[in-house]
Amino acid sequence: MSDTTPVIPDQPEVCRTVDAEERGVWRRVMDRFADHCRARSLFVLHYCTGCGAIELPPTITSRFDMERVGVSPMVTPRQADILLITGYLSVKTLKRVILSYEQMQSPKYVLGFGSCTINGGMYWNSYATVKRLDQYIPADGFIAGCMPRPEAVQQVFLDLMKKIDAGQANAWQDYYLNYDRYLGNQMALFGEEWHTPVDVIAEAEHYGYVGDGTRGRFTEILDRHAAYALRDAPEDYPERGANERLLP
Amino acid sequence: MTLLADLILMPLVAFVVGLLLVLMARRVRAKIERRVGPPFLQPVYDIVKLYAKKTQVSHGVMHDLAIMMLLGGFITAEIFLPVPGLDGLAEHGDLITLVYIMMVPMLGLALGVGSCANPNGSIGISRALTAMLAYDVPYVVVIVGACISYGTTNLIDIVQIQQQGGPATWGAATMPILAFAGLLATHGMLGKEPFEIYIAPAEIATGPMTEMSGKYMGALFVMQCFQLYTVGVLYTTMFLGGGENWLFFLPKVFAVIFISVAVTNVYGRYKTDDVIRWMWKWPTGIALVGLALVMVR
Amino acid sequence: MPFALPFDMTSLDLLMAIAAAATVLLYLFGTARLGGYLATLLHGAALAVTVAMGLDLAAGAGAIPSSLRLTVLGQQLAWTLDGLGWFFLLLTTGAAFFSSWYMAGEWGRVQQRARIQHGTLALNVLTMVLLLSAGDLLGLFIGWEFVSWAAFAMMIQAGGPATQAAYRYMLYALAGAMALFAAILVVHGAAGGFGFDQMRAALPDMSTGMLWTLFALFAGGFGVKMALVPTHLWQAPAYSYTPGASSAFLNAVSARMGLFALILSLVKLIGFDTLAGLRIPMTGIESTDILAWVAAITMVVPTYIALMQTDARMLLTWHGIGQGGYMLLGILVATPLGVAGGLLHVFNYATYQMALILAVFAVIHRTGTADLDELGGLITRMPLTYVALLMGIIGLAGLPPMNGFVSKWMIYKALIVTQQPLLSIAAFVGTLGTILSVYKLIHNIFLGQLRVEHREIREAPWSMTLPMLVLAGIGFVTGFAPGLALSIVDQAQAAMGVALLPHHLGGVVLATGSLNMLWVVGVLVGAIGVGALIFYVLGNRRFETHQYDNYAGGHFLSADIRYHFSHEFYPGLARVIGPWYRGWVVRMEHGLGVLAEVSGDLWHGVFRAAYTPLYVLIVAVLGLFWAGGAGGFGS
Repeated sequence: MSDTTPVIPDQPEVCRTVDAEERGVWRRVMDRFADHCRARSLFVLHYCTGCGAIELPPTITSRFDMERVGVSPMVTPRQADILLITGYLSVKTLKRVILSYEQMQSPKYVLGFGSCTINGGMYWNSYATVKRLDQYIPADGFIAGCMPRPEAVQQVFLDLMKKIDAGQANAWQDYYLNYDRYLGNQMALFGEEWHTPVDVIAEAEHYGYVGDGTRGRFTEILDRHAAYALRDAPEDYPERGANERLLP
Repeated sequence: MTLLADLILMPLVAFVVGLLLVLMARRVRAKIERRVGPPFLQPVYDIVKLYAKKTQVSHGVMHDLAIMMLLGGFITAEIFLPVPGLDGLAEHGDLITLVYIMMVPMLGLALGVGSCANPNGSIGISRALTAMLAYDVPYVVVIVGACISYGTTNLIDIVQIQQQGGPATWGAATMPILAFAGLLATHGMLGKEPFEIYIAPAEIATGPMTEMSGKYMGALFVMQCFQLYTVGVLYTTMFLGGGENWLFFLPKVFAVIFISVAVTNVYGRYKTDDVIRWMWKWPTGIALVGLALVMVR
Repeated sequence: MPFALPFDMTSLDLLMAIAAAATVLLYLFGTARLGGYLATLLHGAALAVTVAMGLDLAAGAGAIPSSLRLTVLGQQLAWTLDGLGWFFLLLTTGAAFFSSWYMAGEWGRVQQRARIQHGTLALNVLTMVLLLSAGDLLGLFIGWEFVSWAAFAMMIQAGGPATQAAYRYMLYALAGAMALFAAILVVHGAAGGFGFDQMRAALPDMSTGMLWTLFALFAGGFGVKMALVPTHLWQAPAYSYTPGASSAFLNAVSARMGLFALILSLVKLIGFDTLAGLRIPMTGIESTDILAWVAAITMVVPTYIALMQTDARMLLTWHGIGQGGYMLLGILVATPLGVAGGLLHVFNYATYQMALILAVFAVIHRTGTADLDELGGLITRMPLTYVALLMGIIGLAGLPPMNGFVSKWMIYKALIVTQQPLLSIAAFVGTLGTILSVYKLIHNIFLGQLRVEHREIREAPWSMTLPMLVLAGIGFVTGFAPGLALSIVDQAQAAMGVALLPHHLGGVVLATGSLNMLWVVGVLVGAIGVGALIFYVLGNRRFETHQYDNYAGGHFLSADIRYHFSHEFYPGLARVIGPWYRGWVVRMEHGLGVLAEVSGDLWHGVFRAAYTPLYVLIVAVLGLFWAGGAGGFGS
């Protein structure tokens, strides 16, 4: 967390501001230790909507055995560290990806698998697919190719591990710090009524990840859902009342 | 002073041995699947990683309390489970007490999972409790038979009785049929295939663990260490004569768990009702035969 | 009595006076604004007198007489209270105190007929005092009838399904009373009087057949009240549909009157030694073995029936029947450990069952339903009720640190020590079923998803939450220090003529494995503290989210989607055991119906003119036998 500047409201005045780099040795040792362990224990949530899923069994099982380096599959977003998007995303599945991403616990990493997540790949001109994954959620790495081989998948895991070990895999903070931008991109695709049950802003406030880009004109639209109280919501309004923060 | 040392050492030893048991389970599985398997410190990495998560999502106070009950219950259980050199408080609570203390963390987990408001979790708990009913029926037959055979429920005495004449006086030698039934029930207790109905990742999204993240999940990983250790040690204490020292004791514990993890990998998963039927038919039947032999003797 | 009483009143007289006054006063003023608190006050006074009596008994008073005298059939009836009666009396007045406290506030104000609820509660206490202090068999019978009718009055007040259940109860109770009456006649025939001492004196001369008859009649007659299988069908609906605190009172102590009478007749009067000598020829099966197996079946079968209930009240009352089996089984072990375990379970059960029933009625009070399929997630709305229910279910399931564990441990232990493996397995299996069922109870009411219609629910008022929390607290304290409750049990055990169980504050020391709950609970609480320390110190601080922020395979959850698993909570188990017991229960009820029909037809035929000579003959023979027997033994 060295490159974030947490905004703490009502901070008491002190003689001099303590620089984040100057924090205690103990704390830095602990951070280093935690990063060391994080890099060696990665639980992966495979979002297997695309054809890339076929490359994962050999990566995981006896041929390449990812458990050797501490990578193992997990089932729900709550348990996972890595969200592996294996291929193209349609507009409909992107909604689920965003929800799954928001339900994962930080630090969390997104890996785009195959060309489709980078530039749309062979679906570059489809009306229904998403072209660039990292417009909607922050990604830590991509694997180019169609299909990438298991060796390439392994390579991206190893690269990610190096980054985590060095404390540099911090794309997840960007989602909190610039939530408004990501939300804007999402709304551009799904419309202004888009929101997930996850209260990203409250989370950012709770953990001190509020930046200048956390709130903005798109999160203001989100606040307007407050008008849709649980029982006053029109019957046809999708996911009404899903966000309890937005209830009166 | 000794007591204080026991109180601190017993859970710590249990945790460390439990980590090794988890490692063994994963390595054995990897070997059977012709993989290399995880590195030596993998269980530690996993737990530290989970505790070091920077956001920790909770589903209310009961969710947190559940984690405390989980750890507290198992720590208590370890203190009442005598191991070589460490008797702990085994004088103040016997085998029956231990069996019921072991249910406290389960109840805690069940309550925490319930308060997550996720039906996958609730189904998982429903199945876990059903599985508990299934494997505990043979297990209580085994426990009752063993207690009647030893004439005591005090775990320290049970160990001493078995150590009087070497392996010939071990429970496994004096009541082999009960010991075998106990092993089958133990396998069910570990929740491994074919009895892992309550995890069932592809079916109910790991059941109780569905909504667990960060340190909540980390506590469950810790619990797994304690659980493997407790189940292994309890079986060793009841049927394999405990151990005069750790050198003889630990291999027995590892052997008990090894048998379970070695067979588990060749099975698929039973349905809930088939678990009950199997557990109530074979282990229970065998245990009742063993019990009859104990009563006749 | 630590304080002086006017007019040579004994403390038992005072208690009877309070109970009688309470009955009249509460029937008149129960609906008044402070009527509920008057009831609490009166029952509290009764409880205080009971406690004072206990101090007297502990000081060696022997038995506490009453000035009440009645002459029936030339026999003078007297009422005295000994340790056994006092033990049950303590539970009765205690239960009445907590029940009336629960009804005193908001509950009483919203009830249609609070006056009737208060009045019948006080009436029940009065009749139970009469029963528990009965000094002879006739007094016992009179008290028994009073208790039955008082319970009936309590059950019918709600109307609806409760009335149906109450009529069913009355049929069973009358059958039981008939058996009891026959038993008393047999005793009178043999002993020439109704006195307990007379009966004891006549025992050595009784033939084996007569003893078997007495055993069967007493066990059958009193077993009905305890709802021993196969007479268990009436209890669950009768107790469940009685409103509120009355239901808690019935659950906690009413069925225990059956146990009291069983202990009195079988243990105190006939005695374990005589019963042990009573064997089925050629088999070596003792009479107590039969009853123990009835108790074991009562332990297991109703528990698994409870598991399949969808109404919270029915679930609990079915468990109440099952728990009765534990008590009886413990007492029938006939060792100090077993008897103490059984009696302690009576006490423990009263504390946690009352807390449970009161909590469930608090939920009903707020939500209007006890249907386990229609609740969920109330933990955020009613946290105190949740705590009471949680502590109650831990007690009911018999897990540490609550008191239910201690008494069940003593029962398991007594069964294992006396080498009765199958009965101990039955006890364990009953407990396993209880764990499943209580989790379903707490999960379906308090955990899982909160329904939209329950979003605005408030916690139950203090007048309702406090009694159940205090009861749960008693359950915890007597779990932490079971010696407290065991000293109370000692009174009853001494009066039963059973050797006392040596115990200390934390439990018992036995050569075959001891139990010290001070250590168990202390370490458990400490370890949970360590768990809390680990939870709060390690890892970042928690962020509490809401119930719709939940994994659903990527689906978006919202308030109009039910995302809750409660209906048919144990489907796998239901598929396996469902067919067994469903068929069993239905067949048995049908069988009882057929039996009633056939015997009805038979008697109908007997009464018809066609058999008049036969009827006259039977009556004449019975009369001659009666007169001869009475004359022969009485003089």
